[in-house]
Amino acid sequence: MTVTEQGLLERDKDTMTLNMGPQHPSTHGVFRVVLEMDGEIVLSAVPDIGYLHTGIEKSSENKRYVHVIPMTDRLDYLNPPGNNLAFCLTTEKLLQVEIPGRAQYIRVIMCELTRIASHLLWLGTHALDIGAMTVFLYAWREREMILDLNEMISGVRMMTSFIRIGGVAKDATPEWIQGTRKFIDYFPEKIDEYESLLTKNPIWMDRTQGVGVFSREQAIDWSFSGPCLRASGVDFDFRKKRPYSGYENFRFEVPVGKNGDIYDRYRCRIQEMRESREILKQALDNLPDDGYKIADNKISLPPRKTLKTSMEALIHHFKLVSEGIKVPAGETYVPTEGPRGEVGFYIVSDGSNIPYRVKLRAPSFMAIPGMCHMMNGHFIADVVGIIGSVDIVMGEVDR
Amino acid sequence: MTAEEVVEKIKSSMGQDVQSAEVHLGDAVVHVAPEFLPKVAEFLKDDPDLAFDYLSDIRGVDYLKMEREPRFEAVYELHSIDKNHSVRVRVGIPEENPSVPTVTKLWSSAVFPEREIFDMFGVHIEGLEDERRLIMPETWEGHPLRKDYPLVWEDIAFTHNRDFKKELVKENPAKR
Repeated sequence: MTVTEQGLLERDKDTMTLNMGPQHPSTHGVFRVVLEMDGEIVLSAVPDIGYLHTGIEKSSENKRYVHVIPMTDRLDYLNPPGNNLAFCLTTEKLLQVEIPGRAQYIRVIMCELTRIASHLLWLGTHALDIGAMTVFLYAWREREMILDLNEMISGVRMMTSFIRIGGVAKDATPEWIQGTRKFIDYFPEKIDEYESLLTKNPIWMDRTQGVGVFSREQAIDWSFSGPCLRASGVDFDFRKKRPYSGYENFRFEVPVGKNGDIYDRYRCRIQEMRESREILKQALDNLPDDGYKIADNKISLPPRKTLKTSMEALIHHFKLVSEGIKVPAGETYVPTEGPRGEVGFYIVSDGSNIPYRVKLRAPSFMAIPGMCHMMNGHFIADVVGIIGSVDIVMGEVDR
Repeated sequence: MTAEEVVEKIKSSMGQDVQSAEVHLGDAVVHVAPEFLPKVAEFLKDDPDLAFDYLSDIRGVDYLKMEREPRFEAVYELHSIDKNHSVRVRVGIPEENPSVPTVTKLWSSAVFPEREIFDMFGVHIEGLEDERRLIMPETWEGHPLRKDYPLVWEDIAFTHNRDFKKELVKENPAKR
């Protein structure tokens, strides 16, 4: 603004700068974006992040490997087992150990349940952003059942910290397996219910089809991953391309979209929930029986009852609790497929019991510049839809 | 291609520009000097056999406490979507005037991780249009993920304490 000779205020430019966030219900956390508007059209969008910075990477450099696991829960707080798994797989790769089949399957069951829970939360909030209120309540109803299953096995509803280096914390109980079976029998008709509310809904289609389009080349160039990448027609899923934790044993499809718009991202995620349910069914049917953690007592604690009879077990127990796991020097990275895309930890080890450097590859963090590029030329009302469709979680963006 | 084939291909085509290439724990790893990074990155992206069209991540590492030369490192993780193979490009950056060329012209998404490396390690990104802090506030002093960054000190930004005396506050060791 400048003041003219007559003392009137005069605008310097014909555009308006609009601040959105960090306190905005549709930015899914504390994401701020500064929009340059021409009327209702977005000319440019500049992202601003860092409001949720907690210094988890710095803290990890001063904690033992086992103590980092609960912090990984808090990174992507909608996918705690997935983050635990990514961290444990990388540490296990440095340790060069093989995990028993039962532990791998329990990990897969937890990760797939959480994938469904994360997609349900996304579906509810995304539909709510665009104006479909009912789906929110329905999605929350089923998400609650998954959180109850989490509580049943780990004692915690969300931040489970259940996947540990060398296996999982406890063995799966028959009640939990029974409960998971009940859930996967109950769930498919509920997906149909969500779809009956949205998929053919003319308002939903108007708001999502042809909006926020990213071509195959753009999606790759801007490092989109997960459902957003696949919605643009790229058939790339780490569970299929580079199987980890026993994913090679399961038959499932990778849903791929065509147009790369919001509607395709929605269809991809809905279909992914069905495929996750398929994986869960196969994992429960073929659950092996060879132990829930590795036998190497330098990595996993010896059984409690042996402590009173075996000197060796007592020493191992004492060393593991007081000193922790010593990880051989080296640096490595294992990509995994989380609900939002490629999740992985780059760990540099100097041979001690404390990681030298831990860096999370966060799908939301890498997608934000592309998401803001996507907003250009759209109406302001579509900005909310675009942010929702990319499904960002600020916990893993700011770390 | 397997990791061995990727390393072999890079060695045979770019042997004079890369410092070394090896397979570490099953991953293809290439060491490159900062001045050769644009050339090597362009080759990795455009070569039809390698076709590393997807930038997964860029991480900074400060090797101060491991006493390794050079002190800083930028690590680029690249995937090829069609060929389904990966490579890790490790660029060692010396302590004096640390800087590394940008790769945003090849992979647009590099802008956030590059800004993060500047923010967290103080490594200047040559050619990056928008070199601002990303995560820390703009007024922040120091680069938090450096290994010599003090863990215990924080400036008092605001206080309700009326008896608060400026001279009682010790000088911030992070300011240099």
